[in-house]
Amino acid sequence: MLKLIKLEFMRKSKFIAMTLITAVALNMYLITRGPAGSTMFLVLFPPALFVAYLIDIIKMYSEDINKKTGYMLFMTPNSGYKIISSKLFTAVLEGLAILLIYFIFILINGAYIIISTGAEVDYSQLISVVDRFISGNFGFSLGHVFVILLTALTLLIAFITTVYTAMTIRKSIFSEIKFGGLLSFIIFLLINWALSSASNKFFDIISPYYDSIGSGAAGGITPEKLAMGLLPMIAVSIIQAIVLTGFSGYLLEKKINL
Amino acid sequence: MSKLNLLQINDLTKKYYNKTALSNVSLNFEPGKIYGLLGPNGSGKTTLMKVVAGLHKQTSGNVLINDEELSYKTKAYVSYMPTENFMYDSFKVIDIVKFYNDMYKDFRIDYALNLINEININLNYKISNLSSGQVAKLKSVIALSRDASIYMLDEPLNGVDVLSRDAIMDIITKSNNENKVIIISTHLVSEIEKILDTVIFLKDGIVEVFGDAEELRQSRQLSVEGLYKEVFRNA
Repeated sequence: MLKLIKLEFMRKSKFIAMTLITAVALNMYLITRGPAGSTMFLVLFPPALFVAYLIDIIKMYSEDINKKTGYMLFMTPNSGYKIISSKLFTAVLEGLAILLIYFIFILINGAYIIISTGAEVDYSQLISVVDRFISGNFGFSLGHVFVILLTALTLLIAFITTVYTAMTIRKSIFSEIKFGGLLSFIIFLLINWALSSASNKFFDIISPYYDSIGSGAAGGITPEKLAMGLLPMIAVSIIQAIVLTGFSGYLLEKKINL
Repeated sequence: MSKLNLLQINDLTKKYYNKTALSNVSLNFEPGKIYGLLGPNGSGKTTLMKVVAGLHKQTSGNVLINDEELSYKTKAYVSYMPTENFMYDSFKVIDIVKFYNDMYKDFRIDYALNLINEININLNYKISNLSSGQVAKLKSVIALSRDASIYMLDEPLNGVDVLSRDAIMDIITKSNNENKVIIISTHLVSEIEKILDTVIFLKDGIVEVFGDAEELRQSRQLSVEGLYKEVFRNA
């Protein structure tokens, strides 16, 4: 598995390097326009990076099953389950790396904005702000951030597995059928429809329990309550990811036509 | 492992849309022999190799490698060289070597590096910067650097200059031993016939001729190329 993940990162090293160079160059250019430029960068950078990331992780799989270079990977004695799981792990690691990079940009630009206003950077005050944030004194703490990130991560994995499954179906079950691409897209929509119906039913069943938790909440919602509230969504996403990864792995193993 | 049946293909059929690429193909491959898989374009040679390599799934029939049904595990026994350039463009030659070394337990890295040096390809060249002839040579060298039970080379002489063809044929014959099967698909019959032990003629997905190359030459009083022309003249 590690060797497969290493391969994926080797293949996308050029993309990562280009993205980083572009981001740094853009940031440097906007910084010359003052604090407003820095703020603009921090606002515009995440959506642009997210779109690039989505394109990259979809390309990571579609190139392997649609181009001849995919033979490199699929000739190796690795099971379909292992191959698809390695791509998911790579996508998650890449996503986390992007988050880290954005956090670094926030720190750099934040410091620049403070310095450019002429204010002295008071590190003790900064530490106190971080301390209050971690303690949840703003009504929003590190716990909240963690729960939201975890939810976003599971939703992202569920989305990726759905896209990968649709592509796998195209190159396996429908590979010998005309309009296989169209059929796969319809399958993708059907999977999403079926999953959202199942999720809604699941939420309907458990909602009385969650309403009772919500009615007891006083003041701001705690990270624990936020986690409990988002738990069904996280659970459904995890189940969806496991089922679809298993199904895609099976198709890669038994039905693939590259 | 059965000595006589390193690779067994039984009633193999492969269909695409309305086209039948292979129709009830049954073949047995014995170790120690070099097989020529011959036929015009579209006769099913590449499809047959891709099914054995696990890149295509057969419509019906079965394939046994070392008495095992095809699966990801049997890919460890098969070293397949596709006719297309399948190597990542962004990789350097050395990256391809490292990739094979990481993925295949039977990859002989020193042997590969030595052969790459012999064919004069710089390890730091990017795949995208190699000529088609260099890519063809590199593909053969990489595939033959594995110590696999079955080698399948799809058109190994395509795009290769005359001098390099001899070098590739030399590497192929050196790779052969009593435990291995080598299957070569080509339309350059005259170039390759001297190293073939057994020939298989595929025509429209059906096995037209399957036999010992020397026996065929003697019984038909024709070279393999002559026989090829006779069989496929009207194909």
